[in-house]
Amino acid sequence: MKSIRVGCGSASWGDMLDPAVELAERGDVQYIGFDHLAELTMSILQRMKQKDPTRGYIPDLVPWMKRLLPVARDKGIRMLTNAGGANVEAAGDAVAHLASSLGHTGLKLGLVFGDDVLPRIQEFRAQGVKFHNLDTGEEDIDRIADRIVSANAYIGSEGQIQALAERADVVITGRATDSSVHIAPMVHEFGWATDDWNLMGAAIAIGHIIECSSGCAGGMSNFWKDIAEPWRVAFPIAEIYENGDVVITKAAGSGRMVTEWTVKEHLVYEVHDPTRYLMADGVADFSACRVETVGPDRVKVTGFKGTPRPDTLKLCLGYEDGWIGESEISVCWPDAYEKAQFCETFLRGRFAALKLPITEMRVDFIGLNSIHGPLATLPRALEDLNEVRVRVAVRTTSKEHANLVRREVTHLWTHGPVGTTAVISPPPPRQVISLWPTLVPRELVPQTMVMKEVR
Amino acid sequence: MARQVPLRELAWARSGDKGDVSNIGVMAKTPAAYAILKRYLTAAIVKAHFAGIVKGEVVRYDLDNLQSLEFVMRNALGGGATRTLMMDQTGKAFGPNLLRLVLMVED
Repeated sequence: MKSIRVGCGSASWGDMLDPAVELAERGDVQYIGFDHLAELTMSILQRMKQKDPTRGYIPDLVPWMKRLLPVARDKGIRMLTNAGGANVEAAGDAVAHLASSLGHTGLKLGLVFGDDVLPRIQEFRAQGVKFHNLDTGEEDIDRIADRIVSANAYIGSEGQIQALAERADVVITGRATDSSVHIAPMVHEFGWATDDWNLMGAAIAIGHIIECSSGCAGGMSNFWKDIAEPWRVAFPIAEIYENGDVVITKAAGSGRMVTEWTVKEHLVYEVHDPTRYLMADGVADFSACRVETVGPDRVKVTGFKGTPRPDTLKLCLGYEDGWIGESEISVCWPDAYEKAQFCETFLRGRFAALKLPITEMRVDFIGLNSIHGPLATLPRALEDLNEVRVRVAVRTTSKEHANLVRREVTHLWTHGPVGTTAVISPPPPRQVISLWPTLVPRELVPQTMVMKEVR
Repeated sequence: MARQVPLRELAWARSGDKGDVSNIGVMAKTPAAYAILKRYLTAAIVKAHFAGIVKGEVVRYDLDNLQSLEFVMRNALGGGATRTLMMDQTGKAFGPNLLRLVLMVED
């Protein structure tokens, strides 16, 4: 039976480069898919583009391609990435320039557009489209309409499939779904009908398993104690069969592990209703799949199903929503816990005295309760605590107000209890971009693909 | 007779986020453990456990084929990763936090 090997080269902006290079060099893969986008990323990239029209794509794209293109060209590996972010065109220009300087003339770049609907929101509203908020239930965007900074639909693999059909060596898109960069090679190679919903369900599920890079190979794992050499991170490979079965594995000689447990950990990761895992390309059903070990670091998954794709696409609007000021400082033994409480009282009193307009405030004692919050149990012998790090975060209305937070925390250095220290460099105030998750009719968001040849 | 069984003896857990929703995949360590989870680890128990953190509803989905339960918790992350004041912005530590739970199990 025909099979292909697709590797995952990235799970997010800032992911590790060398496991992707290892995949390319030793993974025996024909394709590598890269996801670089998270929910907040599009707003950040949109801002970058507004400041400079030649930016707005994932900056890692160029150094990544610099390392990977020579290997990929040598081995005939085709790469697909959503690192185009908010500026696919500029990303294409940057990669073309790089490829040209490396001597890869004739390289074909398939650029896929269509996800960015920011300029079309008013037009959609004029047509009567309402943007119901899936989180809060709000009917429409009147409350935020003048503060929207990004609007990206999660588009599927159509444009990428077309690019592969037209022999693209590298495919660059924007806010295509995380799994679409892995789905496109399967559909292209096997000639799967994109309305064969069981096969599309399998493609989506396989994409889901590998899309978080080491997430199915020992990253974020309950089995971290089994990892002998933590620094040897390996990215996964999906060995996909024409019937929709898959073996999850990794490059020969690479570190960490692929086990039934690590694959299961990712099958249940960031999934809601497992019988209806909604993606632009279809709806996957995980409820009948079987996971079995078929060799060392080889885990076979079979039995995925699917149902027809939704008529709508997920649309994420980012909008400006005030500012956050946050800062940290450390207190030490003796009486570290009481000193931390003193700092909290100091800060609450100072903010009140300064009439800081606070929408929300949170104080964490790092080392005690900052991660598990009210469920964290305090150590029995509080008087033995060597140190506590006090962290305060405030949501407020302006940059100037947010800046007061770090000023006041810094004041604890000299006006707080004896031994209060380590203020280090407080982070600058950060503007909040809140997200408005909604749906948009699929037919309003067509994709276009433009092929660019490197000269 | 009822006995106390720490959830961490029965299961592994992995959690994450989508917007203001956090989900926890709870994977039973053995078939016997899965039977206990199915019976005792209800959405209501999980909702009560996360009092003070999860503000919205908690829904459970069963994956018998993977011997796993999926818990989807709404209004759980202080508005979601981009706006929350929580240090665990993406709910990565919700799984371990659930494993603090001790179940009362009838033999």
